[in-house]
This record gives sequence, structure tokens and C-alpha cells, in this order.
Amino acid sequence: MDGKERKQRKHQQKHSGPKADKKKLRKQGGSTEEDGRKRNPKAFAVQSAVRMAKTFHRAQDIKAKKHHIPLVDRTPLEPPPVVVVVVGPPKVGKSTLIRCLIKNFTRQKLGDICGPVTIVSGKKRRLTFMECNNDINTMIDLAKVADLVLMLIDASFGFEMETFEFLNICQVHGFPRIMGVLTHLDSFKNNKTLRKTKKNLKHRFWTEVYQGAKLFYLSGMVYGEYQIQEVKNLGRFISVMKFRPLVWQTSHPYVLVDRMEDLTDPERVRTEPKCDRTVSLYGYLRGTNLKNKGQVHVPGVGDFQVADVNFLPDPCPLPDAQKKRALNEKERLLYAPMAGVGGVVYDKDAVYIDLPANHVNQQQEEVRPTTELVQSLIDTHATLDVKMAASKVTLFSGSATLDPADIDQQTGEKEGPREKLVWDPNTQRERRVVVFSEEGREEEEEEEEEDDDDDDDDDVDDVSGSSDGEDSDQEEEEKDEDEDEDEDNLSTFLKEARAKSERTEKNGKGSPPPVKKQKLEEKGEVPVFADSDDDLERSQEESEEKGDAGRAGDSGHCSEEDEEASDDDDEDDNDEESDDESVEEEDGAAEAAAEEQMRSESEGEEEQGALRWKDCLQQKASEAFLRQQAAAPNLRKLVYGSVAEAGDSGEDEEEELGGLFRVSRPQKSKKFTANSLDCSRFDPETSHNWDGEEMLNSIRDCFVTGKWEEGQDAATLLKEDEELYGDFEDLETGEVHKGQKEQQDDAENSEEEEEDNDEAEESLVKVDDDELQKNKRMEKKRRLKERFDAEYDDGDATYFDDLKEEMQKQAELNRAEFEDVDDEIRVQYEGFRPGMYVRLEISSLPCEFVNNFDPHYPIILGGLGSSEGNIGYLQVRLKKHRWYERILKTRDPLIMSLGWRRFQTIPLYHIEDHNGRHRLLKYTPEHMHCGASIWGPITPQGTGFLALQSVAGTKANFRIAATGVILDLDKSVTVVKKLKLIGHPYKIFKNTCFIKGMFNTVLEVAKFEGASVRTVSGVRGQIKKALSTPLGAYRATFEDRLLMSDIVFLRSWFPVTVPQLYNPVTSLLLPVGAKDGWAGMRTLGQLKYDLGIRNKPNTDSLYKPVVRGQRHFNRLHIPKELQKALPFKSKPKQQQPKGKTPRDMQRPSVIREPSERKVAALLQALTTVHNHKKKKAHTMQHTKHKEFLQQKEKQEVAKLKRQKEARKKLYRVMGQKDQKKQRSSLKGAPQDD
Amino acid sequence: MASHGLDYDGCNFFRQRLVLSTLSGKRVKIKNIRSRDDNPGLRDFEASFIRLLDKVTNGSRIEINQTGTVLFYQPGLLNGGSVEHDCNPQRSIGYYLEALLMLAPFMKNSLKATLKGVTNDPVDPTVDLLKSTALPLMKKFGIDGEGFDLKVVKRGMAPGGGGEMANRIVESTRAVLNQFIPDIYIFTDHMKGANSGKSPGFGLTLVAETLSGSFFSAEMSSTPQGQGDPILPEDLGRNCAKLLLEEIHRGGCVDSPNQSLALLLMTLGQQDVSKVLLGPLSPYTIEFLRHIRDFFQIMFKIEVQKPLEDERKGGDKVLMTCVGVGYSNINKTLK
Repeated sequence: MDGKERKQRKHQQKHSGPKADKKKLRKQGGSTEEDGRKRNPKAFAVQSAVRMAKTFHRAQDIKAKKHHIPLVDRTPLEPPPVVVVVVGPPKVGKSTLIRCLIKNFTRQKLGDICGPVTIVSGKKRRLTFMECNNDINTMIDLAKVADLVLMLIDASFGFEMETFEFLNICQVHGFPRIMGVLTHLDSFKNNKTLRKTKKNLKHRFWTEVYQGAKLFYLSGMVYGEYQIQEVKNLGRFISVMKFRPLVWQTSHPYVLVDRMEDLTDPERVRTEPKCDRTVSLYGYLRGTNLKNKGQVHVPGVGDFQVADVNFLPDPCPLPDAQKKRALNEKERLLYAPMAGVGGVVYDKDAVYIDLPANHVNQQQEEVRPTTELVQSLIDTHATLDVKMAASKVTLFSGSATLDPADIDQQTGEKEGPREKLVWDPNTQRERRVVVFSEEGREEEEEEEEEDDDDDDDDDVDDVSGSSDGEDSDQEEEEKDEDEDEDEDNLSTFLKEARAKSERTEKNGKGSPPPVKKQKLEEKGEVPVFADSDDDLERSQEESEEKGDAGRAGDSGHCSEEDEEASDDDDEDDNDEESDDESVEEEDGAAEAAAEEQMRSESEGEEEQGALRWKDCLQQKASEAFLRQQAAAPNLRKLVYGSVAEAGDSGEDEEEELGGLFRVSRPQKSKKFTANSLDCSRFDPETSHNWDGEEMLNSIRDCFVTGKWEEGQDAATLLKEDEELYGDFEDLETGEVHKGQKEQQDDAENSEEEEEDNDEAEESLVKVDDDELQKNKRMEKKRRLKERFDAEYDDGDATYFDDLKEEMQKQAELNRAEFEDVDDEIRVQYEGFRPGMYVRLEISSLPCEFVNNFDPHYPIILGGLGSSEGNIGYLQVRLKKHRWYERILKTRDPLIMSLGWRRFQTIPLYHIEDHNGRHRLLKYTPEHMHCGASIWGPITPQGTGFLALQSVAGTKANFRIAATGVILDLDKSVTVVKKLKLIGHPYKIFKNTCFIKGMFNTVLEVAKFEGASVRTVSGVRGQIKKALSTPLGAYRATFEDRLLMSDIVFLRSWFPVTVPQLYNPVTSLLLPVGAKDGWAGMRTLGQLKYDLGIRNKPNTDSLYKPVVRGQRHFNRLHIPKELQKALPFKSKPKQQQPKGKTPRDMQRPSVIREPSERKVAALLQALTTVHNHKKKKAHTMQHTKHKEFLQQKEKQEVAKLKRQKEARKKLYRVMGQKDQKKQRSSLKGAPQDD
Repeated sequence: MASHGLDYDGCNFFRQRLVLSTLSGKRVKIKNIRSRDDNPGLRDFEASFIRLLDKVTNGSRIEINQTGTVLFYQPGLLNGGSVEHDCNPQRSIGYYLEALLMLAPFMKNSLKATLKGVTNDPVDPTVDLLKSTALPLMKKFGIDGEGFDLKVVKRGMAPGGGGEMANRIVESTRAVLNQFIPDIYIFTDHMKGANSGKSPGFGLTLVAETLSGSFFSAEMSSTPQGQGDPILPEDLGRNCAKLLLEEIHRGGCVDSPNQSLALLLMTLGQQDVSKVLLGPLSPYTIEFLRHIRDFFQIMFKIEVQKPLEDERKGGDKVLMTCVGVGYSNINKTLK
């Protein structure tokens, strides 16, 4: 065959004919018809408008489905580390995986994974790993804070219950990113089973999470670790993953605590081992902004008020912006204080250094000054005499009889040589160094001097490395003076500035000054005055802070000090003396303008020597100051008082000085306002004089008739319009028509008057100005076009786009607003930002928290919203979980996880009837939602929760009993249960009867008057009125007569009260190793089971064999009258059985004679014979007749046949005749006839 | 797990405290209420206010000691609904209305309150003023709806003399304001007979609208009969116009009686930055800011904006900036 390969025929191209023509045509004009729509318009025409509408609709639906509600992007610039929670049943390889990942990212080996481990994984991302043990409490807590969940599954075993439990917890509390990781894949010997298992597990995982969820395979272990390449891949996945914001997490601040320090006084702990502990907790702030002094919930412990929040320098910072791709060795940081790693641990009052091999060198250098500083602080135990020395000044300044002379005197001392105390370490005593200060120096010099002084301080500090306590105190003295000088300096500066402004104001009235100069001057003013919360405020704050620190130092608690480790050295050193400073400042804050004025005056006096040339200005300056204070005082200070003030409650403490004296602050102003009239109206005492033209002019521009900014001014706008239409160039003639003349720039101020003139001067054209005017025109056109664009150009923008843009704008505003504000102040405005490393101090934690501390259990600080700290009634919708095998019983305690909390409560289940009644249910429905009322923490509506029956130990079955959502937060529905009251008739009239046993008093009956009752047999009735005796009996009427045996009952509904049990699950307080053994309130069933109590039932409730007696009915009795009236048919018949006929009625029996008997026998015989004969004859007759009938029938049949034949013949003849007739008629005239 | 309460002294800013307490859910204790006074304790109008608060809330606990000098208030949930209240005549309805306006957006059911009492008096903002300034302000915050309105059914103090006097007021007011702008519309509204209430009097409310739709207002009313010197209607008109000028001089976007309302709504807004330009802060507002810090831990960034030298737009302005708390109305039912 192959030898005979046939050659294929070549294709014959057509050169003529229709096909060739077509081809030719295509070749020539093919390009024009390429568009299918053009070539074949019919195919693309609208066939059906309905279908087109449908397709369009569907397309739009699909498009709209992709949209999410745009949210304002509130993610901070430097986000907190991503929380990666590793979950899975025990022995599945969780710790190994974390270790491998850490090793992958940081090249460090970690032994035991204790608590959260934070690492820097890339230039933009940090990760916090947390291992989740098998305790359901931990699973719940971690599901609430996780950003990413690595769900480990032992492939050799398959899914375990913990996996599904965790997934269900996640579903309730907001679904974080979940990535499955299959381990133990090396235990499969057969490749096919491996593939099959992978596929099965993957599909099951997908149904739980979402279709296409990532499932990672770790194929096997190499020397007890996962394969490096696979771990690297997993790490890559983690570090590029994106996360969606979860509602609960983005609306609440929270901290996953990675460090805990007990701050309680050790002495107190020794004397009272069970005392409440003060604890500081550290961690990255996540979620949203955290306000100071807020309330937090610690799951597993309870609710606490935060005593203080500070932010600390980031212990695990992201690398600085560099152009490199990879991180270098130094930037691969690892921070896990609970696991004993993390190098240097800062606190606000201490630095803890851990020394892993490669971290020591670099960190030590950074830390050295700080540690010394802190060391010096710690050693600053001020002695009493020192305090006395320091507080002396304070007493003066704080005293009520503060007069300028005193101050003068005081400040006067500052001139001339000053002393400076320096600790000489060689001689071990203080030495007083004399420092000369020049008199009457210039302010700038003063400032420099101040700086120098600061430097000196630093030097001194360096010298006195060991830094005794007194040392700093001495410096304080000197610093004090500095501060005063500073103040003086400030006040003079202020005055100068004010004087300047005064001058400029004066000038302004005469003729407007050149603008540029004005600007310059303003610049000079800005930091001091216009932006009033700038310099003044800052110094105020600093001093406040120092004051705090000083006080703390006095009481001997170095740990209480408020100082930041990052603060400047000098600030740290002079804490003591700033006490008085702060008090002074506070006075100022409290008493506002009046005292400030006084001070400024006094200060003014004190500086007379130096500023003699300003003498004439002083009065004016003070006046200006007063006016400024009245109009725009230092508002922040005025409103919030000193900033670092510890709330209103702390005010009393702040008045204390050195623990000894109390400042008797004249609280006159405060007391005065405390009880005055509560009115929102603002009537200034010093009202402006609105009769004067001057004052009226001052607001002239507020009206549309006044002058506004360019482009918004009414006059200019008017003019602009006119110009637009009045000004054109005639192209044909080349003439330029001018709407109006625009030469005058300066005349713009008084355009109204000049507008008339403009028209008069229409003809005047200035050629020189052509260029200028053209530019102006262009400018105007451009502006007009912009306006037009803004109005009409965004035709494509949908509502969604607009919304998105709006959100974007808001986000930008959020970012920009506080961007350049110092963090210290910024946290006061917007709270602590997520991403900050914060330290929260909680003052009253139970001692078990510290004693039984186990770093393997997560500590979470969940911030609470404004009223989320309260407890109240909650209405929830709940459904028993379909995998939970039992139904839940009303009033059985249930453990709920709601918001941050886990707590035990007693729910009442109910369901809404068709008439809106909420009926109590004894048990939850099997496959349906039902309502539940509980007593629990107020949590916003729409928050999901899950319920468990017990959190203790591990059980074989699925533990999540129910899930649901919060609907309402008050007792808006009343749950009722059915109540049947039972009574018995004791006297029956016709339809009325007296019933007893249902109520106990007349009052009770009165309450139910008119209520409907019913008997068991279905006779309905109504309660009428109470009877006097017996108590609780009443008269009722029924629709029929009752029997004495009837039972009457009243159906009613009884409101049920929700039990007020709220029992937080305090699993973290349990001893180490037994933390998963929390058992709260037991159910009644459990209690009985545990105590071995058998229920003793009501004997009436027990089932007994049913014995039914014979029922006798009475005869039907029809009254005689009625009987008479009835028709006969309906009359009762006398249907008695016949009795025996009476004797007299009975007939006697006949006895025959023998002959008679014979005759009778013969007659009998004859009759029998005769009968026989008769019978025989009859039969004969019968048969004959039968035969005859048969014969007759035969004949009949024959006859019929004959007749039929005859008829047939006849018809045939007739037919033929007819045919003939017809034929002849068709042919024409009959020939025969 | 008790959330910490707050302690205050004195009866001043009584409404602020109770309103903020209700909104934040924090309990509040006010001590030393007129304890040094000859007539110590709560006044009738304050008691009436407490009663009104009790009517619109559900589950609040109020304890007052024997002398009325100490008040403990544990807020419940705002219920709303239909409420009828007889306000004490010592203060005008404005006193109660200001607080209700703050609470009303956060109720479970829409509030329909009928307040009976004095509509106009010289101390408190009148109903007309609140209607013309507070409602547009609230609308700017997105609080709007079909039934969002204030209606004066009857006046508690109306011109006894009739329209003639109103004309006298109008003329004098015009005289002052015409210096600035010609289009001034003053409506006279007088009521007679049953609608005019029991005591005679007259008053004037002036409202100025800015181009961006914010409102300034000033008002004055005659002193109640038998108290103080009687005031001439001409004087009243003139003084009231001056008050309006004063208000315009202060400037900002919100007039002085409504500053606190605007700041409250900003505080309770989304967790975003919001800004408002105000005139000089009134003492009432300053105290309100302090209270907001106590109850919500929100501090405002306060910047003084000085007018430029060549501008003639009144006095200094204050730019208030804050980050909202992200308050959600926990009273509402989820369907």
C-alpha cells in the first residue's frame, strides 16, 4: 500500500465564475467591509428590545455587584505588624512552622514560641506571629485580632474538629484572611492516595472558606524542619498578602500584648500577696485610634480603666527608606520579649537589655546616654531639705497675696552674678560656681545665653556621671532662674510684637501700609501670638510635664515618673523646680485674662531698667494685651487648662507641692461660675459700640456689598460679566470694541462709583495696555472655562465615583491635618494612632493575672466604645448550630463570645407569634432562628456572637452551640409565657355558674373581670363578678349549661423577667496549666447529675393505666305536652316487647278422635298426590311452551331474512333508477321519456 | 465592670452634663448644687428638665438627695417617641429645646415632643431662633427628614399691643441695618386671644443668612411684665439689630448659641477630621469643650485666625478641628 502512495491533486483555482468574482471583490474592497457590523448589519440589529434590556440589565447588575461601599481609608502611614495566627490541632506542626518562618525571615532560631513574636519581614511589612493552642478560649480571642490565619491541617489524618470550630468562630467575628497549610504529607507512601487526599481536603476547605482559597502544601520534614524552599514560598505569600478591613477591628482599638511588667510596690506585694496589681502592658496599637483614660476589656480577665497610655519608640522599626531591594542583616529585627528575645526593651522609666550575640554592639551605643540618664533619674531621691529649698519659691508665687513688688524684688535678684551649684566628685561636696550675667543685654543674647546654659547643664550632667540626687536639685535652682528669664524674655517679646502691631494698626488707619512689609511683620508675630497654642503652650506643657515628674520623684517612686526617655536632657534634670512654674501656669490658666494681665504688667515693671526706651509703649502694650486676651486668649490653655493635667479629679493632687503644702488657690472664679445660670447665650459684657462708624466699617466686608477676595467679590463678578459680553473685536474691520476701561488697578476699591464713569470713557483706548488686557482676558476665559468644566465635564462620573472621590478627599484631610504636629500633642487630639508601640498602665488587675501569667496565652487589650462598658438587656437573634447535637434549654447558662468579651449568661429563648407576641420557648427550635433575651454588655447592633455550653477541656463533639446577631439593646420586647388558671364550678344555674379555686382574692378576680374562660369540653364563657364567699370565687356565664364535672380554665400570658447574670469568663486568671478548665455556673441538669439528685416528680404528672368506667346515660324524656304536639311519625312509639298472653286470652288446645285422625290422614295423603300431579302437569306445560317459543323464533328469523332480501332487491332497483335518472339529466334532455 | 462615672460641682452647665452623660452612657454625679444658697438644691426648671429627660429615655436612674443638692444620674437608652411635657415657666422652652435638639438625632424612635411653656423670654434662645439657626445647622450634618421641623403652635408671650408695636420695632431695626444692605425682610407675627398666651410682651428675632447657607441670629424680647424696667419697642429693635451686628462681627459658620451643638455633632461624627470656623468661643462653649473631653476624651485643636489687616470682616475667628469618635446610635433597633 505504502508503495502506492497517491499523489494528491492540486487545488484548482477558479479564475472565472461567481466564486472568483467574490474573491476578487474581497481582495479589492475587503478592507472597507472588515467591520462585521457594516458588512452584516442585520446580524447586529436589535432583534428584541426586551432581550436587549435584559442583557443590559444583567451587565449592569454584574458591574454593580463588584462595587463595595467606599470607606474612608484610615490606615496609618506606618501600619502595625500584621498579626499572623497559626492554628491547628495539637501535634500538627504549628511551632515548627513558626520557627521555620522566623528563621526564614530573620536567620535566627527561636526555641520555645512564647507569646507574640514580631519580626521585620520586608521594607514595608512587619509580622507578629502568634501560636494558638487548642484551648477554645484562645481560639476565640485570637480569631478576633488575627489579620491572617495559617490553618495547619494534618493531611495524614484529615480535618479535625478544631479546624471547623475555628472557622466557625471566624465566621462570626469577621473573617480574617485564612490560608490552609497541609502538613505531614510525607506520610503518604502512595502517590495516588496523596493526590486524592490533597484534592479532597482542598475542596472541603474551599466549601468552608471560599472557592479558590489558598491551600499550601508542606511536603515533608528535613531534619525536623520544613523544606527551606517551601517555607520561603510561604513567607513570600505572607509578605505580599493584602487584607481586608474587618468591621469590628476597624472600629475598636486593640493591642496584642507582647510584654507585661508588674509595677506594684514589692513591699506591698510582700505584705499583702493578694493585693491588686498595677501592671503595664505593651504592644502595638491596632485597629483605630486609642484615647487615653479609656476603658479596655481584657478577654479572660475583665474590664479595666486604663490609668495611663504612653507611646514608646518602636522596638522593631521598619528600615529607613532605602533604595535597596533586600533587608540587610541589621534590619532583620526580631522582637519577642515574652520569649526572651528582642535585644533592648525600652520603657518610659527603664531600659532592659537582653544580649543576643549579634545585637549587642549596635544597640549599646544608641542606648548609652539614655541609660545614664535613666540611671540618674532613678537615683534622684530628693531629700526633704532640698524640697523645702525648691518649694520656697513656689510658696511665694502661689500665695494669694502676690503683688508686683514681690515679684519685682524676686526678679530683681536675678540681676548680677548668680551662683551655680556643681557637684564635685573629687571632693564629694557641692561647689558653687559663679556665673556672671551682663545687665541690660539684648534679647537675642539672652536667648543665646539660655542656650549656653542648657549646654552647661548638659556638660555638668556628663561630668557627674554617677549623678547624685542633690546634683540635679542644684541645677534646678539655676534652671528655675533660667525659666523665669525665659518668661521675661517671652513677655518682652510679646510686648514688642504687640507694640508693633499697635503701631501698624495706627498706621493702617491713616493709609494702608505696603503689603509686603505687613507680611513680614506678621511672620514675626506668628509663633508668639497669632498661633497662640504654639510657643507659649509648648513651654507650658513642658513645664507641666516636668511638674508631674517632679512630684513623682518626691514620693520616691522613680517608676511613676512621667518622663519620656526620649526627652531632652535638660528637661529631665530640672524637674523639681518646674513645680512652681507649672503652678504659676495653672493659675494663669484658671484665672485667665485678669491675672495674666497683672503678670505682664509686673513683668513689664521689672524690666524697666532694661527696656527704658519702651516706657511709653508699656501702657499701650498692656492694653493691647488685655484686648487680645479678651478677644482671642490663648484658647487651648483657656479651654483645656494645662494639657498634661490628669483630668478633673486629679486637680486636687496637682495643687499639692512636695507632698507637704497645699496651694490655697483662690478658686473664686470657679466657685462663682459653678452655680450661675445655665444659659447658652453669649452676651459679652464689653459690647462694641455699634453707633460709631468705625465699628460699622469693621464688618463692612461681611456683606455681599463689601469687598471680597478677587473672583468672589460681588462687584468684580458683576464687572466680569459685563466685560465678557461687552468686549469683543470685530474681525472684519479689525476694530476693537471695549466694554469698559480697565486701566485702574487702584480704583478697584471703589468700583461702584466709578462704574458710571467707565461707560462715559468708553471710547478711550490705550494701545500700551493691549498686551496686559489680553492677558487679563485670557485669565478670565480660563477661569470661566474651569467653572464650566467643573459643572459639566464630569459626565462619566457616576454616583459611586463621586462617593469614592469624597472619601478620598476625607482621607487626605485626615492625613494632612495633624501631619506636622508633634506626636506628643497629636495624641491628645486624635488619640494614639494604630501602629504606635504603646504602653498601657492598668492599676487594679487581680493578682492572679500576674501570679498565673502564662505567655502562651494571648493577652488582648480591646478598647471599648463610649457606652460599651455598660451592661444591659440585649435582644438577639440566635440559631442553634446545625452541627451541635443538642438543643438548648431556656434558663440554662450559656457562654457567649460577643465583642471582645467572653461571658456566661442566662438566655431566655422566645419566638414571635403571628400577633406580635413574644412567646417564651422552653427549647431552641431545631433548625430555625429564634429570639433570645440576655443580660450582657452593651454592644452595637449587628455584632455577631457565638455561644458555647462549656469552655472547659476538649470534647469529641463540635463545641459551638449557637450563633447569632445582636438586634436591640434594651428590653424592648416583653417575653411572655403561657399560664392556665383552673377552677371548678360549685353551683350551676342555667347558663350561669359560680366558680371557685381559680383565684385567691376578690382583687385578683376584679383584675380579670370580663376575661374569657373555657371548659375542657369547649363551652366558652366570661368572668362576670367576684363573689364575697368563698374568697376568689366568681360568677361566670357560659354559652351553655355546665356540668358539675366540668373544669373551667382561663388562658393568659405571664411576662417573664430576664435573669441578670453576667459572669465574665476569667480563664486567664486560672493557674498555669489549668487555664482551659474554666467552669462557670452549671446547668440544673449538670448540678443534679453531679450531686446525684434524682428528680421527685409530682405524682399527678406520672402516667397511670387509664381505666374507663361504664358510662350510663339517662333516658330521653319527652314532656307530654310536646309529645302531644308532635306528628305521629315523631311520636315515641310504645315499642315494648310483647308480654305473655294472659291466661284468659289463651285458647284451649284441640284433641282429635281416632276416626277423625284417620280421615285427616287420608285427606293429607290425597292432597299430597294431587299436588304432585299438578306439579308434573305444570312442568310439562312449561317445556311445551318453551319448544313453541323456539319454533316461533326460528320462523321469525327466517321471515326477517326474507324481508331483508326483498328490500335489498328493491333498493338496488331504486338505485339503478336514480342513477339512470341522474345520468340522463346530466346529458341533457331525456331521450326515452 | 462599672464604667467610671464623672463628678461635678454646682448647677451650672447642668444640661450639658446630663446630655453628654446620656449620649456617652457614663454616669454622672453633680454635687453642691447651690449648697451655699439660701434656697439650696435644684430649681423647678431643672427638675422639670430631669423629668423631660426621664420621659425620652428608657431605664435611666435618677437619684436626688433630700435637699436636692446632689444629683446622681445613670443614663438609660434614648427611646424617643411621642412625648408631651409641661415645661416649667421659669425658663423658656428654648432651654429644654436646646438639649432635646442634641439628643433627638440619637433616639430609638423618631421624637415628637410637644413642649408647653414659655416660648420667648430674654434669657434663653427662643424657639424662633432655634428654628431658624439650629435646624439648618443640623441639616448640614445630614440630619434631615420629612418630619424634621419645629412648630410653634401657640406663643407663650406675644405682643399684647398688636401689630402697631411690631411696626415700631421694624422701623428702628431697619434704620440700623440699612447701612449695610438693603434687602432686609422683617416679618411681623402677632397672635391674639387664646394663641397669644397669658402675659403680654414683644420680641424680635433677626436672622442673617450667609451665601453658603449658614445662619446668624440675634434676638431680644421685652422684659416680662412687672420685672425690671419696661423697654421701648424702638430701643429693642435698635439693640437687637446691634446684637445681630455683633454676631456678624464674631462671624464664623455657626452663631454663638449653636456653637456647642455644632461641636457635639462633630465630636460624634465619623472617625475623620472635621473642621469648623467659629467666632469667639462663648463661655458656655468653652465649658462644653471641657465636658466633651471628660465624656468622650476628645480634644479640639483650636487655632485662632486673625483677619488680615485690610479685611473688614469682624473679629478673630477660631478654627476648631477634631477627630470624631465614630459614635453609632446604639439605641436603634436592627431589623
